[in-house]
Amino acid sequence: MPPSGKPAVRADKTDIDSLPRANPTVVGVAAWLIPGAGHFLVGQVRKGAIFFVVLSAMFVIGLAFGGRLFPFQMSEPLVFLAAAAEWAIALPRIGAAILGHGQGNVVAITYEYGNTFLIVSGLLNALIVLDAVDYARGRKDV
Amino acid sequence: MTTHLGVMILFAACVSIVFGTLLRDVPRDQLRLAGRLFTGLVAGAYVLGWVMFFAFG
Repeated sequence: MPPSGKPAVRADKTDIDSLPRANPTVVGVAAWLIPGAGHFLVGQVRKGAIFFVVLSAMFVIGLAFGGRLFPFQMSEPLVFLAAAAEWAIALPRIGAAILGHGQGNVVAITYEYGNTFLIVSGLLNALIVLDAVDYARGRKDV
Repeated sequence: MTTHLGVMILFAACVSIVFGTLLRDVPRDQLRLAGRLFTGLVAGAYVLGWVMFFAFG
């Protein structure tokens, strides 16, 4: 404790700031590819695990409900936006396309629900990517 | 689970968990926020459903 009698908070903060941080670009790309991976890299393991489980589940549910993996179609702005949202959760999107899922069963009663789950899982992952990058840049405390 | 209400509850649960985890750091606060969001989403959709029923049904 310094002579003034106050705790050495400043020194502790300097120690924390000097700790090596994950590269924000790597964190962002990892979080984009795999939901929750960015939070794993910045040390937020519990949050990362929750994001991985919930977003993966949402994506699988969307496919199981007959949702469609939309193509980038410039002539249809809403289809284009839906495709952009679905691409915000990259590896599940790529894996589903490779495995032939996501053709979209338009006569299924759950078709629109499936689309909603797929699109929202991507949009939520976009928020999670930004959050992980904030941690990596030191804007949020780990 | 493929009823409108069942799917809506499932959707609300997923979104609530993600936002609760994203916006709070302490597990108790996360649970509290997720619970409030879940209640708000389900109750809001239920009320809105009845409003639309009486307005347009």
